[in-house]
Amino acid sequence: MSQDTPKSGVKRREFLKVLGASSAAIAAAGCAREPSGKLMPYLVSPDETVPGVSNYYATTCRECAASCGLIAETRDGRVIKLEGNPEHPLNRGAICVRGQAGVQGLYNPDRFRGPLARDGNTWKEITWNDALTRLSQAVAAARGKQSVFLNQHESGSFSTFLDAWLASFGFAPHLSVDFEANAATIEANRRTYGVAWPGLSFQDAKLIISFGADFLDSWGASVAHQLDFADARAKLDGAPRMVYIGPRRSLTGLNADEWIACKPGGELVIANALAGKATISQAAAESGADAAALQRLASELASSKPVLALAGTTGPDALEVALAVAAINQGGGAVGVTIKPAEAITAFEGMARPDQVLTAVEQMRSGAVGILFVRGVNPVHSLPKAANVADAIKKVGIKVSFSSYPDETTELCDLIIPDLHALESWGDAEPVKGTLSLQQPGMDPVFPTIGGSTGDALITVAKKDAAVGAKYPAADYRTWFISNFAGGAQALAAALPKGVVAGTLPARTVPAAAPMAAKPAPASQGDFFLITYPSVSLGDGRGANKPWLQELPDPVTKVCWTSWVEVHPETAQRLGVDRGDIVEVKTANGSVKAPVFVYMGVHKDAIAMPLGWGHRAAAPVPTFNPMKHKITDLQWGYGRYARDLSVNPLDLLPVATDGAGDVVLTVTKASVSKTGDNMILPSNEGSARQHGRGIAQAVTVDELNHPQEREKEELPGDASHAFLPGLRSPVAADAQGELGAPTAADHGTYKGLYDPNDPRGMTKRRWAMTVDLARCTGCSACVTACYAENNIPTVGAFWQNATYWADQKPGFNIARGREMNWIRLERYFEGNLDGKFGVDFEARFVPMLCQHCGNAPCEPVCPVYATYHSPDGLNVQVYNRCVGTRYCSNNCPYKVRYFNWFGYGEPDRKQYAFPEPLDWQLNPDVTVRGKGVMEKCSFCVQRIREAENRAALEHRDVKVDEFTTACAQACPSRAITFGDAADPNWSVAQLAKDRRAYHVFEELNTYTAVVYLRKVNHPAAGAAAPAAN
Amino acid sequence: MATTAAPVLPDGHRPNVPSAARRFPGIGSYEQVDREIAGTLSPTLGWFAALGIAILCMLVGATTWTYQIHEGLGAAGYQPPVMWGVYIVTFVFWVGIGHAGTLISAILYLFRAGFRTSIYRVSEAMTVFAVMTAGLFPILHLGRPWKFFYLIPYPNWRLIWPNPKSPLVWDVFASLTYLTISSTFLYVGLIPDIAILRDREKNPIRKAIFAQLALGWRNSDREWRHFTRAYLFLAAFATPLVLSVHSVVSFDFAMALSPGWHATIFPPYFVAGAIFSGIGMVFTIVIPLRKAFKLEHYITLNDLDAAAKLCLFTSMVVGLAYVTEFQVAWMSGNNFEQDYFWNRVFGQWAWAAWIMLICNCVVPLSLFSQKLRRNTKWLFFLSLTTNLGMWFERFVIVEPSLSHEFEPWQWGTYRPTWVDYGILLGSFGWFFMWFLLFIKQLPVMAMSEVKETLQPRLRVAHAHAGDVDHDLTEGTVYPDDTGAPH
Repeated sequence: MSQDTPKSGVKRREFLKVLGASSAAIAAAGCAREPSGKLMPYLVSPDETVPGVSNYYATTCRECAASCGLIAETRDGRVIKLEGNPEHPLNRGAICVRGQAGVQGLYNPDRFRGPLARDGNTWKEITWNDALTRLSQAVAAARGKQSVFLNQHESGSFSTFLDAWLASFGFAPHLSVDFEANAATIEANRRTYGVAWPGLSFQDAKLIISFGADFLDSWGASVAHQLDFADARAKLDGAPRMVYIGPRRSLTGLNADEWIACKPGGELVIANALAGKATISQAAAESGADAAALQRLASELASSKPVLALAGTTGPDALEVALAVAAINQGGGAVGVTIKPAEAITAFEGMARPDQVLTAVEQMRSGAVGILFVRGVNPVHSLPKAANVADAIKKVGIKVSFSSYPDETTELCDLIIPDLHALESWGDAEPVKGTLSLQQPGMDPVFPTIGGSTGDALITVAKKDAAVGAKYPAADYRTWFISNFAGGAQALAAALPKGVVAGTLPARTVPAAAPMAAKPAPASQGDFFLITYPSVSLGDGRGANKPWLQELPDPVTKVCWTSWVEVHPETAQRLGVDRGDIVEVKTANGSVKAPVFVYMGVHKDAIAMPLGWGHRAAAPVPTFNPMKHKITDLQWGYGRYARDLSVNPLDLLPVATDGAGDVVLTVTKASVSKTGDNMILPSNEGSARQHGRGIAQAVTVDELNHPQEREKEELPGDASHAFLPGLRSPVAADAQGELGAPTAADHGTYKGLYDPNDPRGMTKRRWAMTVDLARCTGCSACVTACYAENNIPTVGAFWQNATYWADQKPGFNIARGREMNWIRLERYFEGNLDGKFGVDFEARFVPMLCQHCGNAPCEPVCPVYATYHSPDGLNVQVYNRCVGTRYCSNNCPYKVRYFNWFGYGEPDRKQYAFPEPLDWQLNPDVTVRGKGVMEKCSFCVQRIREAENRAALEHRDVKVDEFTTACAQACPSRAITFGDAADPNWSVAQLAKDRRAYHVFEELNTYTAVVYLRKVNHPAAGAAAPAAN
Repeated sequence: MATTAAPVLPDGHRPNVPSAARRFPGIGSYEQVDREIAGTLSPTLGWFAALGIAILCMLVGATTWTYQIHEGLGAAGYQPPVMWGVYIVTFVFWVGIGHAGTLISAILYLFRAGFRTSIYRVSEAMTVFAVMTAGLFPILHLGRPWKFFYLIPYPNWRLIWPNPKSPLVWDVFASLTYLTISSTFLYVGLIPDIAILRDREKNPIRKAIFAQLALGWRNSDREWRHFTRAYLFLAAFATPLVLSVHSVVSFDFAMALSPGWHATIFPPYFVAGAIFSGIGMVFTIVIPLRKAFKLEHYITLNDLDAAAKLCLFTSMVVGLAYVTEFQVAWMSGNNFEQDYFWNRVFGQWAWAAWIMLICNCVVPLSLFSQKLRRNTKWLFFLSLTTNLGMWFERFVIVEPSLSHEFEPWQWGTYRPTWVDYGILLGSFGWFFMWFLLFIKQLPVMAMSEVKETLQPRLRVAHAHAGDVDHDLTEGTVYPDDTGAPH
């Protein structure tokens, strides 16, 4: 793909002059019944815009603190998809689930469309200029008083700009807040290595020990860590063994070879024991962990150097754990080898500690604060309810929000001046030491009523004050940014196409805070430790308004559209509860009701709940009705997709902080009681067990190295014969051009239906895919990538069910199995069949998508040829021809076909999945499917044809590995490889010959085009391997 | 048609076959037949009430379908991977019902089974309406029902034809063929009776219609010769259809890969089940009908008894098929198949499987008792359990397979919604609406065939002891079910 970028600024990309057509009508093109509208071509086409051809702009992701590099794909002036920037040092072209969902923040239907001012109990739309005048007055009135500016933590020069602006009005520096970041880890890193986050090299480690550090979930720069971790695991034989220590097996824990379960709070003594400061028996006794396993780990630690030990606990002793782990690293020869302070991830520098926010909250409560600014942070939701942030905010003189979404904190403000989205504004970041990642707009603002970014607004406000204004010669933030960029406009223009450039930002200062002693939680009563953790997809809750993230099954529990309580099977039996039973979890601070998810990866003395759900509006908002909704109806409570959805376990927690000032998320005691209600958990999980069917296969490293010692494989899916060359199928010989070809066995006398000399060269190809299960971590980035690329509707919102006498419950369609995930991530458990508390179980993740069978069971049963075999090996679905008998799905052994039960793509329906302006994200290359047709993975056929067309235009063949599918492109584990298996030069053709390769359900003779490579397990020496089933 | 069975014995013993002389001991003359059968055609209050209820149910179904078309198939209870639900179950159910009619009218005709005379018209009409009902469902269950014509091979500019490999296309041909043949057979058999109605009709409009439908039937010997030839030909023609149609329907399942579907036993198993369910439905219809129309001396207990034996036989065939299915799964060594059957009978779907087994295999065993075979109340109850059991048989075939296939991650369950039930109810409304309209427009009994069993007026029987010549006088009716003289 090209990375065309204009030589100078945004003014030149004033596109989008499509006259006369309503925005909905254009973007919903392909829907069943759109109103007729007039489409007029550009009179003067904007530069570099070719209708139907994408432009790609390199920019920076702001969905979490890590600042990965993005490539924003734009079509006719609209961002339609976010991809990873291959040049970026952190994410190297990969992108996580949340990064991709950034586009749903940009086009969020509940985004503020312009500034608002409080008018009594209601809100009034005001003009941009009026808003800035009001802001200017508020600032003037608050001068001399105390101020608090809570800003979303992001690396970059905006923080410098912001502090200078605040200082020029005599205000205190801002607090750069990220409630998801692990402050204890950062503090320990600072003390040990002098940086907030050293570079981590999993590849160089022999042994990885994680003390609750969920580097595949949300701990640190997860994409960067995942890339490196997957590369380490792909070494197979020389791959590091990984041990996870903690009370709950998170996604990271499930990817570990061994889990040492301990009670919450038991990590410290284990870390001390491994660092030699305590005995193993003491550690085992105090933490409840298995002494033999600890002993084994200790001896392994002594012999496996370098080690990589990571800490990420969230108990009151988090800092102490992190420091003890640092000692393990020192002893394990990690520093400089697996832990590289010189290659620090600088994105985490300058982050305020949560206790500083809590201090600011107390200042607000005392009434001393004259003005509060909030930008991109939602402390009312993200801090424990016991902190009573809402009451404190109400005591502030004037509250200004720069947030884009109607969240809980913004609802308490007086003036809302929505910021532009990161994809509409300028900025920079220093993700790793010495490299700048640039942020440029991918498009004009979605809502022209928003006059500029917060930076623009602040400059305008500054100019209204003569004395301050003098410091701001720049007209807007962009000009300020360019003038401050090293090398100026020219250097910036040169750097923008790549998106990254060598450089550093001035060191950030964190406002000095009184060193705070850990504030312990008051002793609480209850039978269980309550573990809360940021959700993989929603984080601390900021992802909750994005339907892709709500719809994505949690990688561990596979539950979506609701929160849950993880309970161990033994505990569940004792409590008499089962999956989906609603329980009440009670602490001294409150109680919440949530459904049970029975999970053997949580300690039997603990229960676990994810953060992210439970957004509530302060004032009552009428139930959302898509048919009666007007765009002026503000969806307080973080938008229609998030409001009143499930519960926030922070309601249960006391305000306690650890030694690094971080809010304590674990070890509060809670009691659990049955309510008698129950619900069907919205989940795509049928059975969590494979029942010996060989879908997710694994070998141990020994078996891999000594295949002759491996017992005869009794798994039904095991390859009994070698794959045919190029993954061809004898059944699809005709489609593959083998009938009628002079080389055919019958010397070309029998003519098939397909032309062997197809001028497009289709018959010579066999598009195929390999999925390396040794790399796959189950993060599900491929799933969201597929939603983004293929216009897959989300179906879980409560209003997306039928109209009459139908349950209007969030996730109801998913609970009925009607999710549309063309690629889904299956998570199978192996071992521990009796459900007793034990650590001997293994999770295997399998991305399951259309296998594009050479002998596809779905094809012959379709009465109307809506699905057929293409000459290049694709199993094609023709939506226009489909009448919806659904026979193809019945006959699909892999169950990868999805049906449009409702008119998800029709704007006049309540089930419409893309309410304006969410429809702007739709990929114009892919049809939005109508009601009543079947759909499924197309191997991104639009990308295949685009590459072929491009090659044809350039009079060449498609180059080896020239393009890939959306899932493979996003995959932060590099587990998915796509290409032409018939051409031995493509990577996929080589990978398909791997010794670990197998087809799923090979015995059904489907001749699939998707080849899985077995997972490789590294059992501890001397430990029993989990029983395979 | 005359039979050669033993006569009624005077000692009060009640044989379950009519006498040689007396196929219908309660019927004395042609005029009596004409009067009594034609008499059933005058509408009654009860009929209006029943028709009203049927139309109401039909309208409920039609409204529900309209709603479903507007809303999308999601309004029904589909829960992927269960992509086929109540509609396909009910489709197979109604096709099955349709089988008894042709069996009784065609195969039993060829076999000269006398007991068919009184019930064949009803069952043939039932067949036509059942196939008409069944035919709705494949359209009804489509995601885009307005595109159903894609399944029909019509010449089109794009030169796209239906896929000849797909069993669903075979279904279209099989069902349409069956509908054509069975309605032709029904109509041809009706011609002499329509002529009788034409002759008796006073209303000029109805008379004109009957005249058209009677095709100028004049009761001549030549016409009768042609008629019997044609009827025999059609019977021979329809006979293979009894076997083929439901075999083709079974291919919808048997040709698929799914465990529980992929079985070679399906065609005979489905045919037996279809006949079983059809006879069940014949009982459901005939037993109230003979009472309401006071036709107990036409549809005699002997006839019901004979049909009940057929019912018992097919029930046992079906039972054998069930056992064979299990045996095959058990001995196949196929993990998927065994897992599926276990789940079907002892797991998730045990409730449905046991409804099926009890209704289809256990309850019909009662028919070994002659007493129960001749007990209309029991037969009626049994017919209801048969209908229920056979509906559940199809349910058990369709849903447990789809919900428990190869890929455990996609195992699921199925629960219909009010939309499914509304359309199911509507299908019964639709069927009974047609049926009720039929029974008041056209005779439910083949008058001409009944007359064939009577002694022609011109012939005088030899008077000897125990003979019942005087019974031949018009107007003597024996209300006793056995028709035995006192």
